[in-house]
Amino acid sequence: MSATTIVAPARPFAWLPTSNWTIKLIGGLVLATLWQVLVGAFLPAYVAKPLGIIAAIPTVVTNPLFLSAAWATLSAVVRGLAVAIVLGTFVGLALGRVKLVERAFGFYVSGLYAMPMVAVLPLVTLWFGYTGAARMATIIFAAFFSIAINVADGAKSVPPEHLEVARSYRAGWREIWFGVTLPAAMPYLLAGIRLAAGRALIAAIVAEFFISIEGLGFFILFNSRTFHHNEAFVAVLLLALFGVGVEAAMTWATRRFLPWYRREAKTD
Amino acid sequence: MATGESWRIRYLPPAISLIAGAALWQWVGSQTSAAFLSTFSATVARLVALTVSGEVVTALAESMTLFFTGLVIAILIAVPLGVMLARFRVLRVASETYIMMLYATPMAALIPFILSLMGFGFTPKVVVVVLFAMFPILYNTIEGARSVKPELIEVARSYRSSEWGLWRDVLIPYTLPFALTGIRQGIGRGLVGMIAAEFYLSASGIGRLITVSERDFDTAGVLASIIIISILGAALMAVGRRLENHFAAWRGLGR
Repeated sequence: MSATTIVAPARPFAWLPTSNWTIKLIGGLVLATLWQVLVGAFLPAYVAKPLGIIAAIPTVVTNPLFLSAAWATLSAVVRGLAVAIVLGTFVGLALGRVKLVERAFGFYVSGLYAMPMVAVLPLVTLWFGYTGAARMATIIFAAFFSIAINVADGAKSVPPEHLEVARSYRAGWREIWFGVTLPAAMPYLLAGIRLAAGRALIAAIVAEFFISIEGLGFFILFNSRTFHHNEAFVAVLLLALFGVGVEAAMTWATRRFLPWYRREAKTD
Repeated sequence: MATGESWRIRYLPPAISLIAGAALWQWVGSQTSAAFLSTFSATVARLVALTVSGEVVTALAESMTLFFTGLVIAILIAVPLGVMLARFRVLRVASETYIMMLYATPMAALIPFILSLMGFGFTPKVVVVVLFAMFPILYNTIEGARSVKPELIEVARSYRSSEWGLWRDVLIPYTLPFALTGIRQGIGRGLVGMIAAEFYLSASGIGRLITVSERDFDTAGVLASIIIISILGAALMAVGRRLENHFAAWRGLGR
């Protein structure tokens, strides 16, 4: 049989380095022109437009208020993600490797994962007050469950032969968890981090709306209320850049460190 | 399989864990002020009271109207657009990078713009739900579109398939399982959008139930509403997963 010539890497950015740059560039220009013209024609003058946003970029990125807001939000997201990754990996390994833990606690984790995390905000503000700690708690809550669930899936998917070999060499539970299971669950962990980063960003922004503390979410809220939509949109661009950056980093890491994983079929 | 032994192994640990969780909650709640954490019994009592008074039904009806209006609009935009991009490669290449960026953008950041542009009311809230739910669907449909094998289209063409036949017999069946993965993700994100919209745009439904209880330091009311939302989320996600698994076999990697 002839080999298929179609490569279908089911990952974002997989198509980026190949070619087609001109088509993408033209597509972007067309979309931006449409945005500029349609908003200019039908919506009030204060609504953000590409040219206005580009003009606003220099003043916004040199504005110390914007810089400290960006630092407040993004550093909180990164720290919250780090906590969620460590905790989520441990809990995920326990869920995936120990039957009793999964039977006893699995439904808590999957139930809380399915819950829209924004809903806990009022409770979190009652507990932590209207402070950065409440934002941090929301970020960790939003990010933790997607990591725990993904690592648990990964831990369950370890080939049984690997575990058998490890056991016949009298490996202790620590070797089995961190030497055999965790490396095999790595692609799942990276997928979990990608999901968690998106959820953590949303959590941080929504928390800032709710709590009104310094950050990009509040920067956007404040500027859009005073009809500085172009300035506010620069903050949206930074958030988008962060989201895309995490996606790209995870795709790169999967390719670079886990090339064996690309053979397997997976969807999300 | 359903012998006494396996039944016990299967249901005993979750049951014990649930009871232990409730007992722990009750104990912690009784040790702290009711404004910090209400007890399990008080929360259940509030849940029953809210259900009996009909407040839960009204709130759920409001929230679900918002959610499904948004979700259906998101599906009606994203799926046809995604399949169209499956058919026209140039359009797909031109737009997929930007769609991927929008997929990674936290849509919550757009809520203040929608608020200042559209004000309060039902429509802006629907826009928020659509924005939250649409991009996972579009993104996954495009993933499907990217993997439609050109051979399939070539064969259909060699048999003089009409354009409509090509869509009906190749493109739509091929991309549907991917679209359903997207719809499952869209359900999860749409719920977040629904709550966010009910918090920050005009208060309504479950979102209002929570914020009103919070303002009164009524943790029993907050927790009862959170339980309702959790059940709702779990139920909707289960439906999404069912649909996805049902059609996953079409991908050739059914479980």
